[in-house]
Amino acid sequence: MSDIQSAGSKRILKILPYLSLLSVLAIWELVVDTGLVPNTLLATPIQVIELFIYKLSHADPDGSVLLVHVLTSIGEALTGYTLALLIGIPLGLLMGWFVVAEGLARPIFEMIRPIPPVAWIPLAIFWFGVGLTGKAFIIWASGIVPCVINSFVGVRMTNPVYIRMARTYGASDWEIFKNICVPSALPMVFGGLQVALAASWTALVAAELIAADTGLGFLITMGRRLLMPDMIVLGMLMVGLTGVFIGIVIDRVEKRLVAGVRR
Amino acid sequence: MEDKAGIKKPKIECVNISKHFMEGQEKNHVLDTIDLSVRENEFIVILGPGQSGKSTLLKIIAGLYKPSTGNAYLDGKEITHPGPDRGIVFQRYTLFPWKTVMGNVEMGPKLRGVPRKERRRLAQHYIELVGLKGFEKAYPHQLSGGMKQRVGIARAYVNNPKVMLLDEPFGQLDAQTRYFMEEETVRIWETEKRTVIFVTNNIEEAVYLGDRIVVLEGKLPGRMKKIYDVNLPRPRDYTDPAFLDLRHLITEETELTL
Amino acid sequence: MSNEALVNNSPVTEKPRTFGEFISALFKNVYVLYAISIISFLLIWDVLSVMQVLGRFLPRPVEVLYQLYDMLLNPLAGKTLMMHLWFSLRRVLIAFAIAVVIGVPIGLAMGFSPYFNAFVKPVFDLFKPMPPIAWISLAILWFGIGEMSKIFIIIIGAVVPCIINSYNGIRLVDPEMYDCIRMLGGNKRQEVIEVTFPAAFPAIFAGIQISLSMAWTTVLAAELVGAREGMGFIIITGMNQSKPAMIISGMVVIALTAWAISMLVTHAERWVCPWKTKLE
Repeated sequence: MSDIQSAGSKRILKILPYLSLLSVLAIWELVVDTGLVPNTLLATPIQVIELFIYKLSHADPDGSVLLVHVLTSIGEALTGYTLALLIGIPLGLLMGWFVVAEGLARPIFEMIRPIPPVAWIPLAIFWFGVGLTGKAFIIWASGIVPCVINSFVGVRMTNPVYIRMARTYGASDWEIFKNICVPSALPMVFGGLQVALAASWTALVAAELIAADTGLGFLITMGRRLLMPDMIVLGMLMVGLTGVFIGIVIDRVEKRLVAGVRR
Repeated sequence: MEDKAGIKKPKIECVNISKHFMEGQEKNHVLDTIDLSVRENEFIVILGPGQSGKSTLLKIIAGLYKPSTGNAYLDGKEITHPGPDRGIVFQRYTLFPWKTVMGNVEMGPKLRGVPRKERRRLAQHYIELVGLKGFEKAYPHQLSGGMKQRVGIARAYVNNPKVMLLDEPFGQLDAQTRYFMEEETVRIWETEKRTVIFVTNNIEEAVYLGDRIVVLEGKLPGRMKKIYDVNLPRPRDYTDPAFLDLRHLITEETELTL
Repeated sequence: MSNEALVNNSPVTEKPRTFGEFISALFKNVYVLYAISIISFLLIWDVLSVMQVLGRFLPRPVEVLYQLYDMLLNPLAGKTLMMHLWFSLRRVLIAFAIAVVIGVPIGLAMGFSPYFNAFVKPVFDLFKPMPPIAWISLAILWFGIGEMSKIFIIIIGAVVPCIINSYNGIRLVDPEMYDCIRMLGGNKRQEVIEVTFPAAFPAIFAGIQISLSMAWTTVLAAELVGAREGMGFIIITGMNQSKPAMIISGMVVIALTAWAISMLVTHAERWVCPWKTKLE
């Protein structure tokens, strides 16, 4: 648009985000320090940072140092996530192109799709125990949905002109699928990766809240059991930060992979 | 090629207009020293290839952009804001998708506070003028490209603007529809005369429509290259030798830069 | 769109002449395949269950059906299945309504004012990556295990799509629409009423839809924490009493409800924005 913002208002817009974060932290600290909110209900930012530093090297009171919690969670999430990708993407691609694959897989997929990941927790524990397998299953069940949907839609959105052209040249169904549909679906598939990650990460926290002895979700639960609000907040912040971090890593990997494929 | 009938006051006057956009720290120079005057009820075509700044010039006259230097005048008054005394038709149609044809066309009078009955009557008149009778209740997504642009033209006309500004209005239409819409444009313009500034990149379209054709140079910043007078009677014939001659002349003289 | 062209890539339209061709045409018919799929799914499930591949924790499909029937008639913890469903739905609707009332204005304000946006967005971005489930502990600490903490958790889940979509809806209005309304003589107020709101409406409405689905997903998580009624309670009871049939029937009802909600919302959309062309 034609409106030109003055240099002054531009500078204000640049400063405001920092100001906002600072003031939130300050208000947060103040409401607890002044006793407006009791310290048993909310930890101050300083307490959280202190606990963060303490937990870097100390295993008590919950049994593991922070890094172990983080790595356990990442390990579980990536296991389920990778399995979701390995099964979900090919399944979605095939469903997008082959009528038989779609006809056979779609009804089952539609039945499973609306079930929230949390609902899988009891069955996962019954079937696979509280270890890695059970959690990986819960994450898999929620991560696979966006993988399938995006791959499916990606293939369906292939420009029909390419397909018709390939047919005129006598390409078989499989060749068209391999050489035209899959490459043109890739951007959509990669778009699904982030969605699947977010879904997986949410499911992980759910899984760890119910049954775990390490992990960030467990840290949050322990914070409640031990009545340590600072540990709860630390756990929540770590969940958020780690989620963002994995997201950035996957974005990097995706950019490198997709470099050859035009958007 | 000079404007001989300079006795009448110009309707639109562009004096020494240039325009640059800031892209980060870079200055992107789009228009350079444009001087142009348009007479009342004249059909003027601004012709230039893509990236010649012609749409920018139109948007300056519309008041949507401010020129970096120079000024544009309407009836001797400086243009500072967009306003209903100039009607605009966009290349991408830009109809309100949540409004019916009637809702789109009556928008101008509605904004001015014209009572419902009166604005319906006005809108109906222009819907019929552009040949869309019977489609008043249709939504834009139900219309073809040519019909959408008719709505765009009616919506601009209904405000009774002093000047009509058309920004490559038929650029997205197929050739058949395009010819038809060009004929319609002339018909509508002859029914209700207005000063028209019509931007296009199509030489044939320019020769078919314009009283005068302003050719811009084919690279940025856009400068005025030449103005052609078109002294052919209307309705014009695409295959008339005089028509073809002028078309050839413009093509030859511009092909170095186009 | 192009779906038709892609689906019909196999020569199913030709009339089958021999028995073999008839069979192969039959196996390319989507509805036949759907039927095969569902029947074989149930069969494999039944076989797995009878052979006890997953231990004794996979009930047979018939057992699930019986459990559903049983819960419909006989109360569990004093309430029948429909009552439990109603309790969950009520929580969802209350929290959803609050989330819309809070989220949409915040998103709109962020879209309208760059200053408000610059102030609120960093805080929002800080909270966004924390899943609603991560708030459970804090919610219990603050509000106890009563109704408040459940509704709080659902609000956390449901408010995010409302904010994001309202914000983007305003921000992504085609700027040429504004050019257009200005050329037609609209003033600032008319721009907002005639362009901003209607143009952003489909995005905002989509956000509200996602928000409703999110609320339904989150209600389970909220109810896992000490509820005495609701679908989450059924699932937890099934877990505590080692009754997988109860868990699965709970899941079936949850899935059916989620499906019904999405159908309802799609219909509402067609009714609310008739101008919107079908999405893909």
